[in-house]
Amino acid sequence: MQNVTKSKWWQTMILKTIAMVLIGFIVFGPLMGTLLWSFAEKWFWPAAFPQELGLKYWKIAFTGQSPVLDSMAISITIALIVVVLATLISVPAGYALARFNLPWKRILLVLFLMPQAFPQLPVFINMTSIFYRYDLVGTVPGVIAVHLVISLVYSVWITTAAFKSIPVTLEEAARNLGASRLRVFFRITLPLATPGLIASSIFVFITSFDEFTGTFFIGAPFIQTLPTLMYTASMGYNMQYASVIAILLTIPALLFMLVLEKFLKAEYISGLGV
Amino acid sequence: MQPRAAVKRPSIRVSDGQREAVSGLVLVLPALLVLCVLYIYPLCASIAGSFVSDEGIGLHNFAKAFTLYGTDILFTIGITIITLVLVFVVAVLTASFLRFRNWPFLNFVYRLPLFIPYLIAGHTMRVFLAPHGILNILISRVTGLSDLPGLAFSWIGLVITFVWKQFPLATLLILGAFQSVEDSYIEASLNLGGNKVRAVWEILLPICRPTVLVAMVLTFVSTIGCLTIPLLIGPSKPVMLPIDMAFRINYMGDWGVANALGVISYLIVIALSMYYLSYTVKKEDA
Repeated sequence: MQNVTKSKWWQTMILKTIAMVLIGFIVFGPLMGTLLWSFAEKWFWPAAFPQELGLKYWKIAFTGQSPVLDSMAISITIALIVVVLATLISVPAGYALARFNLPWKRILLVLFLMPQAFPQLPVFINMTSIFYRYDLVGTVPGVIAVHLVISLVYSVWITTAAFKSIPVTLEEAARNLGASRLRVFFRITLPLATPGLIASSIFVFITSFDEFTGTFFIGAPFIQTLPTLMYTASMGYNMQYASVIAILLTIPALLFMLVLEKFLKAEYISGLGV
Repeated sequence: MQPRAAVKRPSIRVSDGQREAVSGLVLVLPALLVLCVLYIYPLCASIAGSFVSDEGIGLHNFAKAFTLYGTDILFTIGITIITLVLVFVVAVLTASFLRFRNWPFLNFVYRLPLFIPYLIAGHTMRVFLAPHGILNILISRVTGLSDLPGLAFSWIGLVITFVWKQFPLATLLILGAFQSVEDSYIEASLNLGGNKVRAVWEILLPICRPTVLVAMVLTFVSTIGCLTIPLLIGPSKPVMLPIDMAFRINYMGDWGVANALGVISYLIVIALSMYYLSYTVKKEDA
């Protein structure tokens, strides 16, 4: 009897290991290639591993002549401004959508989803032609405007869900004690919604930091963000250099993936329910 | 003190509904303005622009788009539908597995591609699937075969990249919905002699239909509208519609045909969403 369970236990362990290796390869395999390339100084076919490993291309990326640091500074600046702007306009909107008896509430929420739920490219190219008239093409404000409109859905939806998840009774209690609506908002509602606002900021930051297509049309050729720089390198078969930038672009997203678990509560996701 | 008033008003709503609607709209207004100026306006401009060409107002751009890019339109629809079907299968399989069995490893690992930007996914697969890429190196080491064809720059590589990048979001959404279905429903089905496959197909999927629909529409739209992945890994001919649009603008300065292609992609999205909606509604009636 014991032997049977033991052999079964072995079988499941072996199966599980095979499954883990397979799943791991499917998910991590492609990324391993990029990671290896970023450290490869020489890698000729058909070697399974680079002949020479080193930090050469990382050093090149981080020394004065390369545009990587400048691009990174521009990318981070743009992303931070987009986060601030998106939060400023989404907090009142989210509060109203969560608490007020608004007409066409659903239509409004779907409208904010539109930029992510409908093909973006035709909009970007027409935005470019409109922005030409106002000299916004190739400028930082122009790029900020594109990033803002496509990240708006995350900030509006997540703030709405965050405000919805706060029990109305808490606000009522404060109101009954004589606090004004504004005071209640700043002293009770906003502090309680902070995790939601952080989650929304993270989404907005990542969306802006990694945005390529809009930047490619609106920002070109003067605004070189990290994604557009990586694209140029990859298209030019500059694999090592492109891989270094690719990793730089992925790190924040991966870090935030770990942080986000903490802030993106299940209530918010259910609150997003369409 | 006004305890009675608090009982009368279950939430802090201004008694006058209209005043509330107005103040609510004022709060939404900044966000709405940004959306209208930066999104709705260019969206309308793209539709209007598709009817304007050198020959005047009419359908000339569409005629030109169909004759020049007919193959690409079909190719785009084909790639998108294959991607959609594969994402559905992989996402439902992963979500079902995790619904029945708690495996933290898989639950954590499957999400990774979600956090890899499209551009990086394209570059990564370009390295991975190239003729002399990592995948072929490994295959030739194991099997001893050489001169393997690269999957990059072919439609297969394109589909692999799309599925790899997009199944995590669909899985995340579908798993969330699956987990909100109470165990008792599934147990009831299992007790009646059904197996897990039937429980997924007959209980979980129908109950979670709205979420599955959202997941599929999001997958569909991001596939059909994606520029970066086709640019980095797609074949050079035929190409996906976004590449044609970018080409019309960047090399020809031809906004009319680019906009016509844009409107065609809107129509494809609307048609497939409608088909999917009516199909799932019909299934529920049956």
